[in-house]
Amino acid sequence: MPEMTIGARTRRGPSRQARREWLAAYAFLTPQMLGLLIFLAGPLLVSIYYTFTKWDLVAPAPTWIGLANWRHLFEDPRIGKVLWNTIRFILTGTTSFLVLSLAVALLVNQGLRGTPVMRTLFFLPWVLSQVAVGTTWKWLLNTRSGPIVQAFKLFGLRSPEWLLDARYAMIAIAMATTWQALGFGMTIYLAGLQGIPQHLYDAAKVDGANAWQRFRYVTFPSLSPVIFFLTVTSLIAAFQLYDPVVMMTSGGVGIAPGGPKDSTRTIVLYLQNQMFSYSEKLSGLGYAATIAWVLAALIFVVTLIQWRAARWWVFYGGEED
Amino acid sequence: MAGYIPHARLGAQETAVSLRFRKVAPRALLHVLAVVLLLIHLVPVIWVLSSSFRTNVNMYNPDQWIPHPATTEHYTNLFTFLPNMGRYLVNTIRIAGLSTVGQLLSCSMAAYALARLRFPGRKTMVLILLLTMMVPAQATLVPVYVLFRRLGWINTPLPFIVPAFFGGAYGTFFFRQFFLTIPRELEDAALVDGASRTRIYWSIIVPLSTPAFVTMGILSFVGGWNAFFGPNIFLQKQDQWTLTQGLNYLTGRYTSQWGEIMAGVVLMSLPIVVLDLAAQRYFVEGITFTGIKA
Repeated sequence: MPEMTIGARTRRGPSRQARREWLAAYAFLTPQMLGLLIFLAGPLLVSIYYTFTKWDLVAPAPTWIGLANWRHLFEDPRIGKVLWNTIRFILTGTTSFLVLSLAVALLVNQGLRGTPVMRTLFFLPWVLSQVAVGTTWKWLLNTRSGPIVQAFKLFGLRSPEWLLDARYAMIAIAMATTWQALGFGMTIYLAGLQGIPQHLYDAAKVDGANAWQRFRYVTFPSLSPVIFFLTVTSLIAAFQLYDPVVMMTSGGVGIAPGGPKDSTRTIVLYLQNQMFSYSEKLSGLGYAATIAWVLAALIFVVTLIQWRAARWWVFYGGEED
Repeated sequence: MAGYIPHARLGAQETAVSLRFRKVAPRALLHVLAVVLLLIHLVPVIWVLSSSFRTNVNMYNPDQWIPHPATTEHYTNLFTFLPNMGRYLVNTIRIAGLSTVGQLLSCSMAAYALARLRFPGRKTMVLILLLTMMVPAQATLVPVYVLFRRLGWINTPLPFIVPAFFGGAYGTFFFRQFFLTIPRELEDAALVDGASRTRIYWSIIVPLSTPAFVTMGILSFVGGWNAFFGPNIFLQKQDQWTLTQGLNYLTGRYTSQWGEIMAGVVLMSLPIVVLDLAAQRYFVEGITFTGIKA
């Protein structure tokens, strides 16, 4: 519709139409923006201030210590270690989550018999509380009687000592989180898959496209905004990995906090560890805030790269620009 | 589509039987694949279920997939150990329900503006939203706690409900991605007919995105239902506790009531499973709806 150029600017500035659109947009955005200001921006500014202070929460107010926290961070040898642990989780856990939940979503979307029940059953682990997931996986990976070790034996293989071996502990965590989040990813993928108009598939079939081509040229581009969403958010979640690490490799008999040889101590777990330590020079709270800011900066860079890369592969059916 | 031959590669020598086989066999295989995957997937869930019926002596016995002797004592114990269970249930439903309503409403509204309306600063706002997701919760925890304490919200459900009505980056980003896939034509037609933006949002965008709303609704409800970190910090008084906090009360420093915890986990999962099954209807509706469009 050529005469309906929404938001078009004339030489004398924005048109009345455009102004009305602006107003509507700001009205729709007001609650969100207020929320960000009150519950995020404010507290964030306060936490920036914390990075230049030390405070034990007992004293009435923080003491200014300048750049001491920041200097300490760059000299802290454990920062590199916890960062590498997180990257190992991304390479195993995040990747398998993104790929496997898409595979399951595609399978469930085939219109098989009992699809609603299947969906719910795949979703089930996401419903279980963390308390159950942690203990269950500890038992599954148990070196003596766990079913996973038994399954290895069945094929004549020797199972690694999952949670006790520095090489495998993070892989075990990746397996548990992938298992738990699979149904969550599937649910989001499915919502996207169902939005793909059937006529696109019909047209592809008429053109003689095989199953792979239909996936490559219809499903993948149509689903790309959803894939992008899950990639961005699951990478952010991976950088903030905390719960499963605490549940599976902290405390308990024979398991050190942070896992064997510190192999599952993630950035956020380290941050949490630092929060309540206190020394003459530094305080936990200030140093923890500093780590949090570095973490946020890191995630920012990674997300920005993805955002830039998105223009090459993410396709929006409804957007014009 | 009369002239269209579904299996162009099939030679003339192929009989009707093998043609039928080629059509049916892949579907049968898919069914088998789905069932096998599902069975593997459910092993840990079966273990949770089975250990909730095991006696304490057999709790870690690997041969007790089917509990023998089976017992329901953990289920009955649960209500003796946690006499305030009903109270926890009410608290949990209130937090999960109200925060879900708030999230769906304000996130989808903000997402509509970000996906569809043009206004100065739109791209910046999307970026700001993404930025907010990158900040670890631990970074703002202490200042947020101080804020809620000043507002007198500690030991009330308000820290979970009020912020939800102010939206959230995750939900907004989620809805934005979905709204972007809706073709513009319908909206443009409504605009020509003089419909307001509120009307378009409410009568076109919302109904067209039913699967997205149901999906986000369930995910958000489950999030509130199972939340642990937040309640542990903001709800210290027993009469404000949620179900997860009640269950966690059973894990002691030295001994834990595993049977009761597993029984509790099973009971806690049931309402969500029912909710999810009930929602399937809307997923199907969503399919047919989007099938018509474009």
